Amino acid sequence: MTKPIIELKGITKQYDDGFVALSKINMTIEQGKFYSLLGPSGSGKTTILRIIAGFTNATEGQVLFSGQQINQLPPNQRKVNTVFQNYALFPHLDVFDNVAFGLTLQKRPKQEVKKRVLDALKLVQLPGYANREISELSGGQQQRVAIARAIVNEPEVLLLDEPLSALDMKLRQDMQYELRELQQRLGITFIFVTHDQEEALAMSDEIFVMDNGKVLQSGTPVDIYDEPINHFVANFIGESNILPGKMLADYQVEFVGKSFECADGGMRVNEAVEVVLRPEDLDITTADQGKLVVKVDTQLFRGDHFEIIGLDADGNEWLIHSTNPVRDGKEIGLTFEPEDIHVMRFGEKEADFDARLEQYEED
Amino acid sequence: MKKPRFSSLYLIFVFIILYTPIFYLIFYSFNAGGNMNHFTGFTWEHYQTLFSDQRILVIVLDTLLIALLSSLVATIVGTFGALGIAGHKKAATRSTLLTLNNVLMVSPDVIIGASFLILFTSLGIGLGFGSVLVSHIAFSIPIVVLMVLPKVNELDPALLNAAQDLGASKAQTFWRVIIPYITPGILSGFFMAFTYSLDDFAVTFFVTGNGFTTLSVEIYSRARQGISLEINALSAVMFIFALLLVVGYYFVNQYSRSRRQRQKRHAQAEVTLR
Amino acid sequence: MKKSKQFFMVPYFLWIALFVVAPLLLILYQSFTDGQGHFTVRNYLTYGSSSVYLKMSLNSLWYAFLITVITLLVSYPAAYILSRLKHQQLWLLLIILPTWINLLLKAYAFIGLFSRAGAVNHFLMFIGIGPKQILFSDFSFLLVASYIEIPFMILPIYNAIVQLDPALPNASRDLGASPWQTFRLVTFPLTLSGVKAGVQAVFIPSLSLFMLTRLIGGNRVITLGTAIEEHFLTTMNWGMGSTIGVILIVMMFVIMMLTNDRKKKRREVLDDEKTTL
Repeated sequence: MTKPIIELKGITKQYDDGFVALSKINMTIEQGKFYSLLGPSGSGKTTILRIIAGFTNATEGQVLFSGQQINQLPPNQRKVNTVFQNYALFPHLDVFDNVAFGLTLQKRPKQEVKKRVLDALKLVQLPGYANREISELSGGQQQRVAIARAIVNEPEVLLLDEPLSALDMKLRQDMQYELRELQQRLGITFIFVTHDQEEALAMSDEIFVMDNGKVLQSGTPVDIYDEPINHFVANFIGESNILPGKMLADYQVEFVGKSFECADGGMRVNEAVEVVLRPEDLDITTADQGKLVVKVDTQLFRGDHFEIIGLDADGNEWLIHSTNPVRDGKEIGLTFEPEDIHVMRFGEKEADFDARLEQYEED
Repeated sequence: MKKPRFSSLYLIFVFIILYTPIFYLIFYSFNAGGNMNHFTGFTWEHYQTLFSDQRILVIVLDTLLIALLSSLVATIVGTFGALGIAGHKKAATRSTLLTLNNVLMVSPDVIIGASFLILFTSLGIGLGFGSVLVSHIAFSIPIVVLMVLPKVNELDPALLNAAQDLGASKAQTFWRVIIPYITPGILSGFFMAFTYSLDDFAVTFFVTGNGFTTLSVEIYSRARQGISLEINALSAVMFIFALLLVVGYYFVNQYSRSRRQRQKRHAQAEVTLR
Repeated sequence: MKKSKQFFMVPYFLWIALFVVAPLLLILYQSFTDGQGHFTVRNYLTYGSSSVYLKMSLNSLWYAFLITVITLLVSYPAAYILSRLKHQQLWLLLIILPTWINLLLKAYAFIGLFSRAGAVNHFLMFIGIGPKQILFSDFSFLLVASYIEIPFMILPIYNAIVQLDPALPNASRDLGASPWQTFRLVTFPLTLSGVKAGVQAVFIPSLSLFMLTRLIGGNRVITLGTAIEEHFLTTMNWGMGSTIGVILIVMMFVIMMLTNDRKKKRREVLDDEKTTL
């Protein structure tokens, strides 16, 4: 295990008007990893970033940096740098002076400043842009300058506040690769705030899913995708079919009036649960061979797959991803493996959830 | 947390400086002593003198009339001016027009007054109510333009297209879409023009003849003769009047802002619905 | 429609011709005439060769400069603090309110405050300095003129500060700048446009505050404005008055050129071109 570089302990943020932006957040950030704070707007993810950067104070709780409490340390004395949402480049300075801002404040020798600024610009693939005005740059280029301005100071942690949200799709995807590569090359910790689940899944070592000022679930992208803790996470991360169900016994769950074998256990008999089936885990077969039968309602071509919506006998909607088209209005069968069924308990805490998974899903 | 306390002290200090002279005037308007040095007793006497002073009352009415008429005319001319400037296709023409518009905004009052005096004399126009009114209209127009123009520029051309698409004629588009949209700007322009007119001294001083006087000019000539508590009483009345105007302006602003916010909220609701 | 639009524009263009262009030309023309209306450059020669006029112009510039500096020093911190408050609209209104009180009334108030037996002298006596001649001095003129101009300086600076993206000072702090460095390197340069607008709004009128020089300065301070008023309304020498007027207009243009944001202008033109394309 690498050592923790930032720890948040019981962080609560309440504004003067009584609004609670964060409640009792605990978070451990390790060195050299790529973290994402993922959640809808207003979930508190940017507030966490501002508390780590020092722009705002937590109402309660501790912020530790390498084991030292830094709650009262002003932002200019913290070893973190931020890439702001709209870049916050200084419009009265050119590219070079923007990137050199931090180094100049440290009174570094001119030669060193020049070398490091030009190196940083090279690193973000903007060599030769040093003397441009900020207003002459495109959004993507401004983005790169903002990153260069932050990393040139060699922070131990880089905070990124939705840095890609203002870019168009193609550029966004390119930047995802670049950011990930940059993080691995520099070997420093990135904390990346986003509301885009694809972005978080693609780039992170670890994701914190947030809603209403709380961390709902944390883990690797694969863990969170495969084993969402509750309805909100299942819905927010990827697409899913979520149905009410009942736990008949360990490894046996009932939904849409039928009993299915599954891979979950550790719940009370007849406990009401929710069941998640990912659309890509549903395979299409003939009506008589399917575990479920649905009638094709609508179908959209998505480029690499077809997105099919089918209705079962009870009127439940089923979202299915298939590489082949089906005929509208046709009855089709759906099959899936027991491990494709993911069972979620109502109101389960993350610690209990993790413990239960450990116990029942070893195989 | 010492800093905020110092800063609020500083701000309070600035506010005290700003308001001391005004409240000083009002305070002594109730002085039975007859000067602004020793408060010897409370009296309404100066207000009675003020309200029975025919000359002052006529001047007040004249001043208000000039302010009202000039700001009305200036608002109409200036609104069309702003629409016209914004409607010009060439950026160069627009900026030339704007520069010409702003000449009177940045000119010192004395220059405006002196040059208008030359203008009226060379045109053979007699000095008096007419010349003062025309001058006030003239220096109010650019203010109205500057208040209306941002609203006009804010106007989304798609709105006009939408109105026409829905079957509105050009005139209907103008009255039902453009005018309501820029109304906050027009109202601010009117208020500003009104206060500029009330407040003006220098221009009026140049272009008013012997027969006609506005309040500012009257106060000037009385103040040169020394202190008369009737002026204090007058200033108290005018302060209350200004206060009412400001409060009115504030509510007009709040109204248009809250309407804007409501519109914004609607827009957001639509986005989230989608 | 095009024609009717032009029709509604007629009064505005008429106004530009009659009240913007014509007065400027007239004052220029008048400055080249003598008492009989004959063409002459004597006014300019007199102005250029008379130490009285030159000294008066320099004096006027110097006072305007002092007034601008005083108001700026008072106003910038005030605007900055104001931008951090709750209920800003209300506080702003309180800043604006005194500007709605007639200038003459405020000047009149100072006659009372500063008079020999006035409140300020009472205070001076109380703290043991003893009464002083305040009214009819350069000092009182500077003080009252600054007092009157303060709101006009606060407002543009306040607007510039409010428009400043709060992420920019944050970014500066994030990159290691102390609060003072942030102010010096980021906040102040980026609100300079407001300062320039404020300087424009204060400096130019300060050149021409003739009523204050009369009421408060007691004719000890003579500004360009006072000279113009005197030539037009007292000595009736319109030619010389216009000449000083032209000088004042020239000064005004110089000030505006010095304080105009050239960079910003360029960007605005660029934006205009973009929108027309």
